Amino acid sequence: MPRSPADRVPLTGADCFLRAFDAEVRRRSGASHSAQLVLRLGPGFDAVAFAKLVGEVAEAQPILRAPIRRPWGVLPPEFRLDLAVRAPLPVVEIHDAPESLAGGPPPPLFAERLNEKFDARRGRLLRCDVVRYAGGAAGTDVAFTWLHMLLDGSGSERFLRWLDEVSRGVRRASELPDEPPPSDSPKVGARALGQQAMKWRARTRSFAARAPRSLAGPLSAARQRLEVDVTTFGADETARIGERARKLAGFLTPMLFYLAASVRAHRAVFELRGIDPRSYVVPLPVNLRAKGAGGALFGTRVSLLWFQVMRESCGTLDSLLAELKAQRLATIKDGMVEAGTAAMDYARWLPRYAYARMARRAFGGELCSFFFGYTDEFLAGMTTFLGAPIENGFHAPSVPPSPGSAAIFSLRAGRLNFSHVRQSGVFSGFEQVRLQRSLRADLLGELE
Amino acid sequence: MTWTREALTDRVYEILRDDLLTVGEEFTPRSSLIDAGLDSLAVTQLLLAIEESTGVWVDESLLTEETLACAESLAACVHAQIAG
Repeated sequence: MPRSPADRVPLTGADCFLRAFDAEVRRRSGASHSAQLVLRLGPGFDAVAFAKLVGEVAEAQPILRAPIRRPWGVLPPEFRLDLAVRAPLPVVEIHDAPESLAGGPPPPLFAERLNEKFDARRGRLLRCDVVRYAGGAAGTDVAFTWLHMLLDGSGSERFLRWLDEVSRGVRRASELPDEPPPSDSPKVGARALGQQAMKWRARTRSFAARAPRSLAGPLSAARQRLEVDVTTFGADETARIGERARKLAGFLTPMLFYLAASVRAHRAVFELRGIDPRSYVVPLPVNLRAKGAGGALFGTRVSLLWFQVMRESCGTLDSLLAELKAQRLATIKDGMVEAGTAAMDYARWLPRYAYARMARRAFGGELCSFFFGYTDEFLAGMTTFLGAPIENGFHAPSVPPSPGSAAIFSLRAGRLNFSHVRQSGVFSGFEQVRLQRSLRADLLGELE
Repeated sequence: MTWTREALTDRVYEILRDDLLTVGEEFTPRSSLIDAGLDSLAVTQLLLAIEESTGVWVDESLLTEETLACAESLAACVHAQIAG
């Protein structure tokens, strides 16, 4: 940094896609489209030193508090690094909790942070909350919560590695890892780009013939009240689940196994309600960061592979997996990853509300059936953070009030974490149990 | 065209090095593909490129930790399938 002569970094197409969600959530439900990463640490974490470190890196890396503005109100939005100096440093709040709560469910405060509003125009993009148990002697939980367009899942984990490296003196706060240029402007001509975007639009519009439903129902203007449950499977169970995922979905595509189990878990709740949604539409985020490249942090680099599975395919896990595998291959072969990128690139020029409005119009008020994510090994190979042992960690991104449900999976040190983020009131207690039982049965290959 | 195992190894290695991975000169046909950042999307793109070169679609069920260890082992897997 700075990366451009004018100290302005254009948002990527994916950033703008997330910005569209943010506009939707801000307008409808009084919060932001944010993301969260939670670290559960053992003893030895110095919260005060951490707060100082965050301040230092935010001083050195203005993108962490750069106002996001759209020049002239119409040009593609930018991170205004030149205005960052006037923006406040990211907030780091330190809270204390009794030892008896250590190792229990994540603090409710963390879910509350997902219901708050960031202010992109003023550069309020990131905050951190630290909960110390017995002053830190019994462990510490740290939540990083940020406006989603600042960092994607992969970038956020790299950000933590980078923070740790700065704390150990391996890097200076001003020194970012090597990264490709921040703009992901495609290298194809405008005409080809337009054709790709139209292809993507045609594919998503084809879903409308059997439009999806979410458990939240069509567009809601309810105030966002997200709840987060995190289920951590034991080491033996995780080993069994991992073996099943490899065997049934393939060595490199375990995400399809978790996606299939999640579709069937939501289906189980629909069945409980006596509703036949006819199809399930779910986007699978695809990491587009250069494979093997250094450590790009900012500028989200994702595309979405969209799946639509009919109810007839969902009868068994095997039949659903076969359908998902076939669709994944067909959509990649058909260039839908590139088409999705092109469509997102167009989002840089569109009004913020355009994407959600178009999707809801096509799908009868819904965006999709639920959000899904699989981020593989969390902070792979990293055992400590600022000197404290990492005992667990997971992602908990927010989900708009409709679809109102997100299923996120990750692994940490041989244990599977399932984060279920949901809008309050979408699931009854009984439905929540039903979803968990169905999921567990499919993951472990057991009868319910 | 008849593909020898050596020619296939060269082709797979070229695709990985030039088109799919961001790797330096230390990357060889025996380098670990997972360490080099190969993921599911890159593998599928690799299979598409192999199909374009050889006309053979590699059965994905053959892709295991062992066959995806390096360009050489992957080429051996592809060659075995081509040879029938």
